[in-house]
Amino acid sequence: MSKVGVFVCHCGTNIASALDVFKVAEAARALPGVAHAAEYKYMCSEPGQQLILDAINEHGLKRVVIASCSPRMHETTFRKMLKKSKINEYLLEIANIREQDAWVHADFEKATEKAIDLVRMAVAKALKDEPLKAQTIPITKRALVIGGGIAGIQAALDIADAGHEAVLLEREPSIGGHMAMLDKTFPTLDCSACISTPKMVDVGAHPNITLLTSAEVDAVKGYIGNFTVTIRKKANYVNHDICTGCGACEQKCPVKTDSAFNRGLSKRTAIYKLFPQAVPSKPVIDAESCLKLKNGKCGVCEKVCPLGCIDYGDEDRLVEMDFGAIIVATGYRPAKWQRMYDEYGAGRYADVIDGLQFERLVNASGPTEGHIARPSDGKAPKTVAIIKCVGSRDPKKGHAYCSRACCMAAAKHAHQLIDKLPGSRVFVFYIDVRTPGKGYEEFYDQTRKDGAVYVRGRVSRIYKEGDTLVCQGEDTLLGKQVRVHADLVILETAMEPSPGSGALLGLLGCAKDADGWVTEAHPKLRPVETQVGGVFLAGACQGPKDIPDTVAQASASAAKAIGLLNKDEMETSPMIAKIEEDKCSGCGACGPICPYKAIALEKIPARDPGTGKKIERLVARVNAGLCQGCGACTVACRTGAIDLLGFRNNQILEEVDALWL
Amino acid sequence: MTNGQKQQLIRDRAAALLADGAVSCIVGWRQTRFAGKTAVCFVRAPEDATLLVWNEYTIPLTAKYLADERWTGGKAGILARGCDSKAINRLLRDNQLEREKLYIVGLPCEGKADERCRPCRQKTPLVYDELLWEEDSAADGGGTSAADADAPGRGRFFRADEVSALGIDARYDYWEDVYARCIRCYACRNACPVCSCRECYVDMHRAGFQSKRQNAADNRVFGVTRAFHVGDRCIECGECERVCPMGLPILGQTQKVIQTAEALAGAPYEAGLNAEDENFLGKFDLDDKDAFM
Amino acid sequence: MAVDFEPKILAFCCNWCTYTGADLAGQSRMKYPENVRVVRVPCSGRVNPQFILRAFRRGADGVLVCGCHPGDCHYATGNYFTRRRFMLMRELLEFNGVDPGRFHARWISGSEAAKFRDTVSEVTRTVKALGPNERFQEASGEES
Repeated sequence: MSKVGVFVCHCGTNIASALDVFKVAEAARALPGVAHAAEYKYMCSEPGQQLILDAINEHGLKRVVIASCSPRMHETTFRKMLKKSKINEYLLEIANIREQDAWVHADFEKATEKAIDLVRMAVAKALKDEPLKAQTIPITKRALVIGGGIAGIQAALDIADAGHEAVLLEREPSIGGHMAMLDKTFPTLDCSACISTPKMVDVGAHPNITLLTSAEVDAVKGYIGNFTVTIRKKANYVNHDICTGCGACEQKCPVKTDSAFNRGLSKRTAIYKLFPQAVPSKPVIDAESCLKLKNGKCGVCEKVCPLGCIDYGDEDRLVEMDFGAIIVATGYRPAKWQRMYDEYGAGRYADVIDGLQFERLVNASGPTEGHIARPSDGKAPKTVAIIKCVGSRDPKKGHAYCSRACCMAAAKHAHQLIDKLPGSRVFVFYIDVRTPGKGYEEFYDQTRKDGAVYVRGRVSRIYKEGDTLVCQGEDTLLGKQVRVHADLVILETAMEPSPGSGALLGLLGCAKDADGWVTEAHPKLRPVETQVGGVFLAGACQGPKDIPDTVAQASASAAKAIGLLNKDEMETSPMIAKIEEDKCSGCGACGPICPYKAIALEKIPARDPGTGKKIERLVARVNAGLCQGCGACTVACRTGAIDLLGFRNNQILEEVDALWL
Repeated sequence: MTNGQKQQLIRDRAAALLADGAVSCIVGWRQTRFAGKTAVCFVRAPEDATLLVWNEYTIPLTAKYLADERWTGGKAGILARGCDSKAINRLLRDNQLEREKLYIVGLPCEGKADERCRPCRQKTPLVYDELLWEEDSAADGGGTSAADADAPGRGRFFRADEVSALGIDARYDYWEDVYARCIRCYACRNACPVCSCRECYVDMHRAGFQSKRQNAADNRVFGVTRAFHVGDRCIECGECERVCPMGLPILGQTQKVIQTAEALAGAPYEAGLNAEDENFLGKFDLDDKDAFM
Repeated sequence: MAVDFEPKILAFCCNWCTYTGADLAGQSRMKYPENVRVVRVPCSGRVNPQFILRAFRRGADGVLVCGCHPGDCHYATGNYFTRRRFMLMRELLEFNGVDPGRFHARWISGSEAAKFRDTVSEVTRTVKALGPNERFQEASGEES
């Protein structure tokens, strides 16, 4: 009979005051298979662990049952402890007599009785435990960073600086993301381009970084350390290998279409660079507006290009690359407020703009070269209304969540208006002012001192009166209606998950929350990991964030990826599905159950039971790298040929039986 | 066409197929020593084709026997009615047969002398290499007519309906009576075309999911487990019940599974219609019924 | 039925949601009846309906299967299979004469400690009212 040692923890008085730990140990001693039982004040403590290790030696124990707090608390602790002993660390069971007994029951006798039952179940299972050994899988030393905003840029640079290869994927023709559109950053008011463009240039020049712009993820296969990603390099009709970015094509292109980078406040050509500081600094052709690609007429850019870079026959190309780690940094998009707020004109008034449009208006490299001119007539506004929480904190029309960065963006915009347009009046409509960040509250205070008028209340309606837009709302502090006749209205809109990020998360197998943000593995303790091993997250794809938080998270995410890539191979949990090929009939019922596609049918040599002839027959095989150990497949197998190590059928059955022995 | 004429067609075709080497055997039926009882037989020589019979008692399913022939070289010829073809589809789906190693001689069925054939909706085979004759829609050999299907205790799930009509205690007693008489011979399992495990869980050397003891309670566990194992693959042929030496009405268990699968999915469910469909328990729908959660 | 009948109820809880929720109930010092014994499994999809039959056969008065809410499964889709299996199993048990009050399945997340407490209380109450389970336990056939 295998010798089991049972160790009952008092957890100070946490357990000992709610049930009779001595009686539990005594009852354990009488169980079949139990060679030794003891109780102690704190089993997880140094002396507690030593007590267990000593007992293993003294009594020649082969398996260990610890009756203590939840296995979710200390299973890892005790496994580590067993590594110091002669016993395999998987020959361990934990009876949860704290969270699921001592803490939830008031009746001392009944709680004791239950504890004895739980120990009996644990002993029964422990008797069927088998030594398990963690497997190792190789790691591909390359990381994929999806999204070339500041989060992706930072993560890629950190990984590359640590000496690993990084591939930075961006679907737009240039990296930079939203930060490249901003004029100044709060609270220090340093110019956004001045701090982000050097990083972009670093990315372009870094020997360890491969930059793939106009590219998207098409398919993802594999698992932690061993991903194979199919990348779609979208046709851009310009051969970047030879293009020098001279710009001749852009100057001659006859097409004028809305510039998305300038948020529709200016026009661009069909062959274009996203913005002057774009990285790579080379143009692409927008197939939707190019005359040559639309109807075969034009071809001017081809004629003027001195190097013959233009290729109207360019097509999407698919490339497969292997990666060990993936960082999702897909960012956000500003909410489409026009669809949510009919009362703000739903886009009918040219002078109701969003915060990002204002960033372009006030930006020296923007469409007005930094002169704040309202879109309708180009006049400098004298009175400006800024409305916060447009789409945020408004579950009826937009989202329930707070978008976090808009309070400070509003303060910054107010400051910039007062600074650039002396004598102008700025009204900021707000629900609350949230400024938790270094130097944030001070900045907000200063803005108010400089003259911004903060009005507590939501604007209920914007309407046109003559040349002005009337913002009507309630000042909830004064308790009366206010009307502001504004020349320009700036809406600080909510952040929403970047379009297409949902599909990408689906390819990666990552979960997203009800609003579409990536779900982290643990909101507090594993904030940059996703539920998929080897896939990390950075920046606003996880939820609204400002730049400092985004960059901090990007570096954290990179550190996780670097930690993974530093290893040559990694251990995987041995508690995975296992197939007994003798029993497997190859029916394939298990395969479709597996969420990780870890089960495949393979032919193995065998003999015909009737004739003894050599044959080949199908059996299921489990890929240890893919299997996550959920065990859903085991139920589909009628014969029990597929079983889950650590939670085998017979182990669970023993637990059930133990209750009614 | 009379059964006699059909029988002659079968014998002639079997002899021809064997003679020109198209198949290495023909799986069909022969007469037993008992009147009204036929058995499945393997005919391997053209001259033995005269052994083959076709009448209202050629009831047993031919398909399952093919599994034994799957490793031998050459094609196996099989006489298949609608039910046999569903069984073949199931065995193909479970990788227990290879289509290219089969030669299926389709025999549209006129219904046999068995109440379990009454609800049959698939008289003509779904899969075959040739059909020996066309289904005679006028023939009424016991199939469900429209009026029949609605009659209590005569529809597709007639056995399950019989049990469901009882109160919960009477249902328990119904099964108590069944499983107290069960001798655990496993004939139901052996005859079942979708029981295709290499080793059945009840036969394993180390008792796993259940005791081998033969008593009403353990027999009952076997009965429910069997329903859970084969229910969503059940082709509704009725062999399990037909072969029971104790004459136990056990068909209700699997009928209940199919009935429930239809109710839960809100869509018709029938196994064996092709060789590709996923089992009910091997897939899910995000909008599945979620009554008790 | 004995007045002081205390049923024994077996609960299968998935490690990621319900087991965590049950732990949280402890951390929050909630109180619930002592009748439930939890078997920890990685996923509710690991729970074989044959475990339930075994529990009834051995003497369980009630059985509870718990997992993550649909869409929240740690293993993405495990609980969708759980749902099919146990919706079917419940029907099949009832068809075999087991009172539906003896078998329950619930989605309980890691944060729903109160739902765990309420579920255990409710199931205990239901099973208590039904009395000791004798079904699946009478061995009236021949012993061998």
